[in-house]
Amino acid sequence: MENYLLWQELMRDTATMDQVSWWQEFYVYFYQAFIEGDRWMQYLRGVGTTLVVTAMALVLGIVLGVLVAMVRTAHDQQRAGKHNPILGFFNGICKVYVTVIRGTPMMVQLLIMGFVIFSSSRSYTMIGALTLGINSGAYVAEIIRGGLMSLDPGQMEAGRSLGLSYGKTMRFIVIPQAFKAILPSLGNEFIILLKDTSLITVIGGKELVHAAQSIYGRTYGQMFPLIGVACVYLVLVMIFTWLVGILERRLRQSDRR
Amino acid sequence: MIDVKNLSKSFGDHMVLDNLSEHIYPGEKVVIIGPSGSGKSTFLRCLNLLETPTTGVITFDGDEITNPKVDINRIRQKMGMGFQHVNLFNNMTIRKNITLAPVQTGLMTKDEANEEATRLLQRVDLLEKADAYPSQLSGGQKQRIAIVRALAMKPKVMLFDEPTSALDPEMVGEVLQVMRELANDGMTMAVVTHEMGFAREVGTRILFMDGGKILEQNTPQEFFAHPQEQRTIDFLKSVL
Repeated sequence: MENYLLWQELMRDTATMDQVSWWQEFYVYFYQAFIEGDRWMQYLRGVGTTLVVTAMALVLGIVLGVLVAMVRTAHDQQRAGKHNPILGFFNGICKVYVTVIRGTPMMVQLLIMGFVIFSSSRSYTMIGALTLGINSGAYVAEIIRGGLMSLDPGQMEAGRSLGLSYGKTMRFIVIPQAFKAILPSLGNEFIILLKDTSLITVIGGKELVHAAQSIYGRTYGQMFPLIGVACVYLVLVMIFTWLVGILERRLRQSDRR
Repeated sequence: MIDVKNLSKSFGDHMVLDNLSEHIYPGEKVVIIGPSGSGKSTFLRCLNLLETPTTGVITFDGDEITNPKVDINRIRQKMGMGFQHVNLFNNMTIRKNITLAPVQTGLMTKDEANEEATRLLQRVDLLEKADAYPSQLSGGQKQRIAIVRALAMKPKVMLFDEPTSALDPEMVGEVLQVMRELANDGMTMAVVTHEMGFAREVGTRILFMDGGKILEQNTPQEFFAHPQEQRTIDFLKSVL
């Protein structure tokens, strides 16, 4: 603490700056970025918000993704000549949703949600989570649909030939196998989602990057807050990858020979 | 038992079944043969509506199954099917493969289905594989299990779509043996196959299909000894 104040004082003046060695300088910037005024608490709160936003967006994304994928797949797998108009209507909505979300940048979606649709709201973090969830849902839907469509149609036929309904065949046979196949892509999508939470700073969401920004806004030392934040994301993603790996290994049980 | 009237099926412009009528009586073992692309698999798959006929009426046990209002799941419970590519459920153990449909359709309780599975697995000599996954079995073992999986639903008729065509030659025998026993038990069967020996031995009637039509039919003895049509003679010459 005393060292910090002393060295900082020396660094302020070009005349005395030479007296500070490189590691003392490092110490000053590090102290400034993380310790002074308990700034590490700000990062910690930021990580908390990041994780909460990720979790909420994840749940919303999966719910939306599953719904959209179910509607799209059920519509495409209808028997020829047995066309359900209600399903056709919802299929149309789902197609528009996926097209619009995938066709516009996430940043623009966030700005529109924050400053146009919910311009009177002040809960920026919630708007951020909502937008990310809606965005993620479109990608998750396509991943799930791809998984459902890629499974050998013989599995569905075998289920149906035994007299099981479409829904039950989906639930017991198709979905469990499709889930195993799409898990790596889903894991990838969730990693992207976790990192994309950083974008909600543009509408004032107070997550991890926001913490870094507000700190270097005061200290004018950008390097340490930003590299620190990058490290936190890296560690989070590594933990997440590890968890997905465990799940994959567990689901591979029926492949053992 | 199964009545087919004026059945046609086309995929786009391609007509696969051309105004075909046929009747399968209880206890019959109908064997359908013919060159590839003749429509025999499509014909079989129309019988339980895995393919939707373009036109025509199919009646099973008094139910008109081509009527869109009929509950096709209920009908299919009474019609077992064996596939060329076996199609065991890869995410389940053998026992679960067999018990899933009887339990989920409400035909049996879990305990009854388990007992039935044990009995059926004993019958095909594969009880020790009950807790294995399909990927751990040979092709012949998988096909035998696929057959008893269909039998667990206690069907009135069994449809077989080239059940031995995708198997290694040394595994064909064990699968045909199971089907032979099934035939001896009096099951009504419709079999699409290239196994002429099996057709001759087990079949009670042979249908020869070509170009989406049933060109010729007869008892196995007559069919193989005195084929009538030139197309049939050519086909038999090339496969026998």
